[in-house]
Amino acid sequence: MTRLFLTTLLIVALSPAFTGAAQAADGEALFGFYCAQCHGTGGEGDGPNVTGDFPVDPRNFTETAEMEKISDADIRNVIIDGGPIADKSPMMPPWGKTLTNAEVEALVGYLRQLCNCTGKTS
Amino acid sequence: MKTGVSVFPALVLLVMTSSLARADAAAGQAVFESNGCQSCHYTQGPATEKTIADQLAKKGPELWYAGSKFQRPWLETWLVDPQPIRPMKFNSVMEPNPGGHAVLSADQVGPVADYLMSLRSDIVQDGAVKVKKKNLKGKLIFIKKMPCSGCHQFPTKKKFSGGLSGPSLIGAGKRLNPDWVLAYLREPKVFKPVKMMPVFVGVLSDKDMKNVAAHVATFK
Ligand code: HEC
Ligand code: HEC
Ligand code: HEC
Repeated sequence: MTRLFLTTLLIVALSPAFTGAAQAADGEALFGFYCAQCHGTGGEGDGPNVTGDFPVDPRNFTETAEMEKISDADIRNVIIDGGPIADKSPMMPPWGKTLTNAEVEALVGYLRQLCNCTGKTS
Repeated sequence: MKTGVSVFPALVLLVMTSSLARADAAAGQAVFESNGCQSCHYTQGPATEKTIADQLAKKGPELWYAGSKFQRPWLETWLVDPQPIRPMKFNSVMEPNPGGHAVLSADQVGPVADYLMSLRSDIVQDGAVKVKKKNLKGKLIFIKKMPCSGCHQFPTKKKFSGGLSGPSLIGAGKRLNPDWVLAYLREPKVFKPVKMMPVFVGVLSDKDMKNVAAHVATFK
């Protein structure tokens, strides 16, 4: 019985759906792929797209004081709907049609790791 | 190929064109494979990438819909004298494109172009984008309403502008088929299921997609 249970667990763990979900929760990998191009690989707002032509500075996520001012819900909304939802620049793209909810949550978590802060509640 | 065809009598031409094109495509495929091109480019659709890791494992862009994506004259010029398209190295966020793409000789390029142009996606709707000299609505989307210019270089009056993470769109009017650009926006999962560019379905209307595709087609 235990063995059957363990085998089932193993099969589930190795199935593509499961590994997909595990990857989806990897905020760091998601950030490196989708966000680093503007926000920089370390989240400091210095990705390769930020040339002299770039109209606004992408947020530096390591600025704890600035990131404390926004809530998880603020972050979530901007990721999903883009800059304009928070009266920010449309240069911050809307990712809601690209990312799953789980991926957005993983990114919120990763930004909190980068700022080493929790943000205002509400 | 062009001069070869013109000496055939019209009747033979009518009967033979399709099989001839197939024969040339087959010859081109042999050249493609003997040059090792398929070690970096897959040519059999549909797309199989499911995860970021799958996308990052590719050594070059997939070519299974090359005939729908590119304009043949551009392809012929580029394959004998390839210049960087992506400012950054393929699949790298930070490293600049080192250039140095494999080069074809003048006698190889015709058949390989025949082969690549035979690789088509039936999702691309011929004539869906009406290209004019200007498309101001599309321009506004590209530089202002949407972040396109944040990731793509594009020509301006002065010289050029724009971000570096996406393929440069300078010269896109000669390189890309506008109908493919529309299909790429409309059906993001078909061509690149996982990519660094956001999905614009549900963000841009179909009309807006047509306008922005028509604007990209004006890029010299
Ligand atoms: C095309 C460049 C670009 C990409 C790619 C990008 N961003 Fe942004 N982002 C910006 C810019 C520019 C701003 C600042 C907008 C402003 O201040 O008006 C911004 C702002 C933000 C903010 C708001 C911070 C605040 O102070 O309210 C969050 C959160 C954010 N980005 C998260 C992300 C995440 C997560 C990703 C990846 C899924 C991402 N961004 C990808 C350009 C980008
Ligand atoms: C070592 C890997 C490698 C090999 C071998 C290779 N390519 Fe490429 N190819 C690439 C990369 C990387 C790019 C993107 C170049 C750029 O953006 O400047 C590319 C771009 C292209 C493009 C443009 C595709 C696009 O979407 O922009 C075509 C067409 C092409 N290659 C054809 C060929 C042919 C034909 C051969 C064989 C003679 C070949 N390649 C061999 C890696 C390779
Ligand atoms: C966050 C960055 C980003 C934004 C914003 C963005 N793109 Fe892209 N775009 C890319 C990347 C990266 C690729 C290449 C994807 C790949 O080949 O893996 C790409 C590919 C393309 C291509 C195909 C080019 C080729 O040679 O293969 C076109 C056309 C294009 N984008 C147009 C647009 C338009 C129009 C917009 C705005 C509506 C836009 N992009 C917004 C990053 C971006």
